[in-house]
Amino acid sequence: MSKLSRREFLKYTNASTLALSLRRLTWVAPTLAAGKSGAASLEMPDYDSWEDIYRHQWQWDKVVKSTHHVNCWYQRGCTFNVYVKDGIVLREEQSATYDQTSPDVPDANPRGCQKGACYSDRMYDAGRLKYPLKRVGKRGEGKWKRVSWDEAMTEIADRFIDALNTDGPASIYFDGGGGATSGGGGTAAGRRSKLLDLPGFDIDAEVGDHHPGINVTCGKMFFHSSGDDSFYSDLILNWGGNPIYTQIPNAHYITEARYNGARIVTIAPDHNASAVHSDDWIPVNVGSDAAFGLAMAQVVIEEDIFDKAFVREQSDLPILVRTDNKRFLRASDIEPKGDEEVFYIWDQVTDSLQAAPRQSLALGDLVPALEGEFSVETSSGSVTVTPVFAMLREHLKDYTPEITEKATGTRPSLVRNLARQIATAKSAAVLTQSNFSKFYHGLEMERAQLLIMVLCGQFGKKGSGLNAFPMISPDGSMSAIRADADDPEFKKVPVMPKEPPLWQRTGPDGTTFERMVFDMMRKGYMGGGSTASSLFFHEHGGLAPMTGSAKQYDPYLKRDATAHLEEAYEKGWQVHPGPAPKVFVESGGNILRRVRGDLLKRGFLDSLPFLVTIDWRMSTTALYSDYVLPAAGWYETNDLVFSTPIAPFTNITQQIVQPLGDSKTDWAINCLLMEKIQERAIARDKTEFKDRAGQDRKLDRVYEDFSFNRTYEADGDEELLKNVIKACSNLETSWEELQQKGQSRFTDLSFPDMATEIKADETITACTWHTEKKMPWPTLTRRMQFYIDQKIFFELGEALPVHKDNPAIGGNYPLQLTGGHTRWSIHSIWRDNDMMLGLQQGEPTMWVSAEDARSRGISDGDRVRVSNDVGEFKTRIKISPSIRPGQVVVYHAWEPYQFEDREHFQSIMPAPFNPIQMVGGYSHLQPRILIGQPNMSDRGVRVEMERVG
Amino acid sequence: MTKQQISMVMDLNKCLGCQTCTIACKRIWTKRKGMDYMWWNTVNTMPGRGTPKDWESMGGGFANGRAKAGHLPTRADFGEPVKSNQETLFFDGASDMTRLKPINKPEWGPNWDEDQGGGEYPNGYFFYLPRICNHCSNPACQAACPRNAISKRPEDGIVVIDEDRCRGYRFCMSACPYKKIYFNEEEKTAQKCIFCFPRIEQGVAPACVRQCPGRLRHVAFRDDEEGPVWKLVEKWKVALPLHGEYGTEPNVFYVPPLGPTAFDKDGDHDTRKSRIPDEYLISLFGDRVLEALETLKAEMEKTRSGEKSELMDILIARHWPDMFPSHDKDPAIIDWKEIS
Repeated sequence: MSKLSRREFLKYTNASTLALSLRRLTWVAPTLAAGKSGAASLEMPDYDSWEDIYRHQWQWDKVVKSTHHVNCWYQRGCTFNVYVKDGIVLREEQSATYDQTSPDVPDANPRGCQKGACYSDRMYDAGRLKYPLKRVGKRGEGKWKRVSWDEAMTEIADRFIDALNTDGPASIYFDGGGGATSGGGGTAAGRRSKLLDLPGFDIDAEVGDHHPGINVTCGKMFFHSSGDDSFYSDLILNWGGNPIYTQIPNAHYITEARYNGARIVTIAPDHNASAVHSDDWIPVNVGSDAAFGLAMAQVVIEEDIFDKAFVREQSDLPILVRTDNKRFLRASDIEPKGDEEVFYIWDQVTDSLQAAPRQSLALGDLVPALEGEFSVETSSGSVTVTPVFAMLREHLKDYTPEITEKATGTRPSLVRNLARQIATAKSAAVLTQSNFSKFYHGLEMERAQLLIMVLCGQFGKKGSGLNAFPMISPDGSMSAIRADADDPEFKKVPVMPKEPPLWQRTGPDGTTFERMVFDMMRKGYMGGGSTASSLFFHEHGGLAPMTGSAKQYDPYLKRDATAHLEEAYEKGWQVHPGPAPKVFVESGGNILRRVRGDLLKRGFLDSLPFLVTIDWRMSTTALYSDYVLPAAGWYETNDLVFSTPIAPFTNITQQIVQPLGDSKTDWAINCLLMEKIQERAIARDKTEFKDRAGQDRKLDRVYEDFSFNRTYEADGDEELLKNVIKACSNLETSWEELQQKGQSRFTDLSFPDMATEIKADETITACTWHTEKKMPWPTLTRRMQFYIDQKIFFELGEALPVHKDNPAIGGNYPLQLTGGHTRWSIHSIWRDNDMMLGLQQGEPTMWVSAEDARSRGISDGDRVRVSNDVGEFKTRIKISPSIRPGQVVVYHAWEPYQFEDREHFQSIMPAPFNPIQMVGGYSHLQPRILIGQPNMSDRGVRVEMERVG
Repeated sequence: MTKQQISMVMDLNKCLGCQTCTIACKRIWTKRKGMDYMWWNTVNTMPGRGTPKDWESMGGGFANGRAKAGHLPTRADFGEPVKSNQETLFFDGASDMTRLKPINKPEWGPNWDEDQGGGEYPNGYFFYLPRICNHCSNPACQAACPRNAISKRPEDGIVVIDEDRCRGYRFCMSACPYKKIYFNEEEKTAQKCIFCFPRIEQGVAPACVRQCPGRLRHVAFRDDEEGPVWKLVEKWKVALPLHGEYGTEPNVFYVPPLGPTAFDKDGDHDTRKSRIPDEYLISLFGDRVLEALETLKAEMEKTRSGEKSELMDILIARHWPDMFPSHDKDPAIIDWKEIS
């Protein structure tokens, strides 16, 4: 009998194949013994019919709970049953073991999607990495030498030691992409950075997940209700996202809310899959959503159907502004020693000037005026003041639905109708995602969305609110990162205290607990805690001519964006990235696919001495790396994933089968790296380096410190995890219980930002501490703030929310390229998987409107060249009458290696920074991790296309 | 005779087009040699050419009480499965300008015309239509098989092809008006959806049902008056067979789709007409489709005004196992050692 190699075995089996072939007797029983776990469990069954073959095909040896620690973000949190036979993962099914939160609302079952349901195919497919590889050809050529882990780690450790000694730790960068975990992988990344003093690499603004308008208005962005909360809505707006594509496991809450009485409205240029599931679809021009939102705001104000009580209490609209200098009236205006952060309202009851309450949003007997002009004595004489609302009402006269129709292309009747619906809904919710923050003027689009929702009082009620950035984590993981080597159970570094009384406590000046935490984070960020990757690639990636090119396109800019950036660096609004990289490690992300503007084309690799990728699949970044280190797949490693409040469950992956080939878990790879650094530092007598603060640090015990004095070594991640879970204050479970159940519902928050409590038998509604407990918002005015009296906001005419047309980024071409997450992959992880490609057309496609195809003589299935002033790419097209004329759509995360000449569809994106996003030095406008840095905008880039075949 | 008939209702207003059902089926049943191009469960964007390409014009069914031959769908009609050049591109030192692409150059596939649909902007329209074998009460495939290899299982009415009797004549493929039968070139047999009978036998709902994140598939015996299928088909009359005109009496039923409001020529809402043309829906689901849509709208109006609706409660399915109450066993708890 021939001996099957393991690879062939994997190719042909999945064990059930063996069973079937018995019927044809083309393979005989001894073949089975070639399988890894041998024939012991595979006795020849006694078949008596073809039906038994199917029955046998369904059987398995064991079922284990697991998940996929991919960053699918809004839709994450899915427990799967993984079926194993003969040591091979056969397949997986959504476990469907979630308890109903309450009998009133649909349960979360089954929770999953097609990507998760074919991970067992992906993990064994032809793109899987199994052995450490060293590049021997040109970058990207795919010529490799297979090397041992020891050989690879020796060179990598030496490179680390050299970089630490010459350019310092700031010259070593790890990109974690979306691969962060709260377990072994995340703990390893955190401890490694702590011990080697490596800066974090913050990609949030680079990829446009940073919600600049929400942060400007609310002072934070981490708040989101649970998916089942939308079942209480009577109006749901899909506005800034396409949840039918990108929230597959949550989407049933939308269709079921509709059956429960909600109207579903989708606002988008194209009649997309979410529009299909809506009562109304409102078409708008690409990038015109701010005008659309402001027009609705104009309508509810003009028709006097807005929620005055809510506006007076929760927003800055009653706060008084000086008409002379357009700044808020501050206590420091009244008397020279007055507080810069005390603001005023005009009380209609007493007809007098009153300080706006700060310690609580509760107004007591005050009834702040929303209209009028008032005279106030300041230390420099009498000034006239007026509420923000009065200025807003005047400002919105330029935004009647008739006027905005030019920008939006939307009929006034549709605007009025929807505005009235939002105003009269018992509970309206906006299911936005991270789409608008990827537009050049995304900040304004989000402000306009918030404005209409705040005017209508749609916050804090069950089923209401604008949902922003969903995130909740097992909080013990932070302790595991911070703990010293002698504290393997992290007892000396407990998690953040989280009793609600503390988290809701507010100082007399309106400083809440969350505000204190944010201020600490801002300080940490300004001190070099992490590097904004958008600024990093601007400075070191060869992208500056493009990311700094806004003035070419934006008629409102008076200065070059680079001049704005210089000002931001000088004034300490933004942090200049560290030195050029000596070592770049891709560990969970894929920069050569991800970074808009295309690093491959702009010479980033020409000046990068050393690139290492740790991954389980061949990403573009891996293909161009000097070393590729094979990571264990998700069913081959124990880990704990981060979660979201949408599905507020923690999930684990389990080591169900051994890592394929020579692949290793993230924890093990980091152990090897740290151990090798220690060993080589001693051997080379280079055991010292200076950290970024100039302090001496030692390398001769760095692995002892990393591994808690060898408590958790390469195979110790399961023990580590047990203690991480024990350290969590927001979970009431154990590793052993999670192994059985796969998931556990969070019992509490991990960060205060969500401003609500998690109750066992209720859906989660964000921000109730503000709306019900009257806790101030963490902004300058302690309210949801629509007026920003800051220099750059004045310079760019954005003190109040405005609409600006999407600039002709890329040049003066007639088509606007939009995108969004695909339903077929999470980032690029399934982009090269034949099973998922088989449910598309096998290669990149671009959706084109029937009209634009016709006028260019293009037919369905043709290949076109898409170009602008920055570059070009070729793609196959799909024609659809659902696409808006003037719009073309490429869903994201195709790999550069899927395009001819590796001309990626993102290589035509100059990705200019908008200077409005560089602002700092203004209370809540100061960057901190994930927030407040400039974005590499990508939506609505201008292009033309022509047929090439 | 069939004692009981297992049946399914798919609610098209909940279908996301995500194809998790397709993958669930693929990963459990069609992994063997010769099955690579088979997708026993498909989801097509409608209107569209579908799977196999142009299946709605391929014919089949019955004429004068006898099975009628239609077009025999070929492998090319179904489409080649994508096979790309990962190994040469990633590991074999190919030129750095080579791109990843399907080396077998498929020209059609199970979801080729995804999200294209019909109409004209801004009144474009589409919806998703998931399909499995209809497990008809009067199967044309069975009538067409000269080998008597096709039968309805007496215990549940599942239509099965006896792969030991089948000689690969493929008359069944020609006669099935839904074109849901494939031919395995390696095993020389016709193969198709088996309604996951090994699961049904254990009290477990089919893989496509349990793996549907959109929660649109209800399963029950047809005559079970407590089950969701009887209630949706017989009581509320909102679930209809697809292309019932072929007379095969399908046991899969569809709750028809409600499209969003249409626009008039000025771009204002036009509530007098449907975005998805009535005649198109009638061509798929028959005359009763308009009545079904009216019932749905009336019941939705009830919940909007705060009233209760049994129909809405069934379609919402707050407690997921209620969608398949007679087959709600969790497969993960099965211990095969105990069973064997």
